[in-house]
Amino acid sequence: MIRSVLLSAVTAAALATSAHAQVVVSSKIDTEGGVLGEMIRAVLENAGIETENRLQLGGTPVVRQALLAGEIDIYPEYTGNAAFFFNRAEDPLWKDAGAAYAEAKKLDQEENDVVWLTPAPANNTWGIALRTDVAEPAGVRTLSDFGKWVSDGGEVKLAASSEFVNSAPALPSFQAAYGFTLGADQLIVLSGGDTAATIQAAANGTSGANAAMVYGTDGQIAFSDLTVLEDDKQVQPVYQPAPVVRAEVLAEHPEIEGLLQPVFEKLTLETLQDLNGKVQVEGIPAADVAQEFLTANDLLN
Amino acid sequence: MRDRMAILLLPLAASAVLPLAVFRANRIAAGQPHGLVDTLGPGAAGLALGALALVIGALLALHRPVLRVAVAAGLLVGLILLMGWGAARLAADAPPQARVGPGTGFWIALACAGLLVIDGMTRLRPGPALRLALVALAVGAGWLILGSGALAQLSVLQEYQNRSGAFWREGAKHLWLAFGSFGVAMLAGVPAGILLTRLPRIRPAVLNLLTMVQTIPSIALFGMLIVPLGWVAANLPGAAALGIRGIGMAPAFVALFLYSLLPIVANTVAGLTGVPRSVTEAADGMGLTARQRMLRVDIPLALPVILTAARIVLVQNIGMATVGALIGAGGFGTFVFQGVGQTATDLILLGALPTVALAFLTSAVMDALIAMLPGAAR
Repeated sequence: MIRSVLLSAVTAAALATSAHAQVVVSSKIDTEGGVLGEMIRAVLENAGIETENRLQLGGTPVVRQALLAGEIDIYPEYTGNAAFFFNRAEDPLWKDAGAAYAEAKKLDQEENDVVWLTPAPANNTWGIALRTDVAEPAGVRTLSDFGKWVSDGGEVKLAASSEFVNSAPALPSFQAAYGFTLGADQLIVLSGGDTAATIQAAANGTSGANAAMVYGTDGQIAFSDLTVLEDDKQVQPVYQPAPVVRAEVLAEHPEIEGLLQPVFEKLTLETLQDLNGKVQVEGIPAADVAQEFLTANDLLN
Repeated sequence: MRDRMAILLLPLAASAVLPLAVFRANRIAAGQPHGLVDTLGPGAAGLALGALALVIGALLALHRPVLRVAVAAGLLVGLILLMGWGAARLAADAPPQARVGPGTGFWIALACAGLLVIDGMTRLRPGPALRLALVALAVGAGWLILGSGALAQLSVLQEYQNRSGAFWREGAKHLWLAFGSFGVAMLAGVPAGILLTRLPRIRPAVLNLLTMVQTIPSIALFGMLIVPLGWVAANLPGAAALGIRGIGMAPAFVALFLYSLLPIVANTVAGLTGVPRSVTEAADGMGLTARQRMLRVDIPLALPVILTAARIVLVQNIGMATVGALIGAGGFGTFVFQGVGQTATDLILLGALPTVALAFLTSAVMDALIAMLPGAAR
């Protein structure tokens, strides 16, 4: 009985999604994922490659699992994340942009038949930003300054996701390298929090927050009077966004590599901050932002 | 109006001095409250205040529920149109990324008007057919107001205009998830319930198992289904071609189906076992076969109880389908979770409001249908 019940449910579910022969373009559910995914989709469609839209599918584990299972074909991933996919988070190699990309490309090709295409010259890594009205009087510009300032009793309250607070390469490695420790009363932990939430908390001083976890390419930073503190000891792994595609699909459409290369080469840190800001702050749909950028840079013809 | 509803007139009057609108420089900036005069301009604000005084006076003077419902419904529609007009006025000389949303004053007045309508309706006790007609009227009015563009400058509708294509696409997925899984659960659950009335010895075990399923948090159940369905997709020939995947619609659909089973099976059992013994004995005495008795006596008598379960399941599924967005199933939850990620409240509302409206409508329609059944308590 139960089996037949399950089977009928599954069959019914099957009717909802149709079989596909197109290139399934996906992305993570965050803002940048939306923008980069829409760019990939627009470029492929423009070159006459049919695509299926599975953008903003879910978090990193969901999207990664879907790629490996062959449910999606291409999505933008960050070089630094390969450290976690291959359980190599301890390796200092991930802090060097070139080496990190080469290693990610090599490992994924060998183990999963997944190809990393040309990355963007932008590092969307974790960082800490302090309210400018706090940072300037205190003379805090780098994380070394920040560590010293906090240890000397500087009043800080950092809004961050629980991932940032707990995962070894994030806050704990900052604390170890720059010699400071944040107690529970100096942290506001937003479980599953996006940087949008942490930046907003710091910008508005919600619950006394004056510092925020940020990503390098956050579109909101410029709008929020926050100063991003320089990672002067290079503690963080490099997170360059690059399209990753299943080798099987790339073999079928080898032109994808050459199509996406000029697009990603144009995506500097400032460009991504600007594009993300248009989506997040101004509320323009990611598809329009992507289209506008591609057209303005003559990447569609 | 010597009744408990008079208490609503105080907050209704007070709402006029609270901020009517909230203005934000961009969609995630902190809001600045704007009062009635600020939002509408002195002339229109005066008219609005006069209208509000008239409404309060009318509610105090009128005692017939029909009239009070009419006045309260008028207030409801008027408020919404006023809000749309005020938003357009505030947005007129602001940059395009600025957003205008309702303020506390609007929400309080809206809640008061809504409660007055609901109170009046419970006093009127309309029959099921009239209730269906009123639901249709409400949907039609909502459709007209939204379609007229009168609310186009409200922040939630700006989010809608930016993704109207995606809205209807996700809406269709949401409906399919909620109603499709419900349909399959009815097809499986009612026969299972009938079977269980014949097998009293395994009944507690099955019902306990279904209860256990019900207690698994939805996000956990969605996650747990990724692995087995992924396996099925990879190992069962043809499964993947049918669209069975570990991620996407399939796990969400199966999860909603599993959640639907307990109310349907349990109520089918309760409905059938609740048929009075005298009735079944009379049916037997008339020489009905077991099959005839089931179809002509037991099921019709149990139907209101079974349909009550159907209503619970539908409302539950409509709400729970939102979580499916986390595993790529789509639905209105997509906007909720994107909005949470971007801290864009209006985007969250774009997902949440239609979900609530859908659940409310479905519940009202099902209620009316159950009441229309022959022999239903009126």
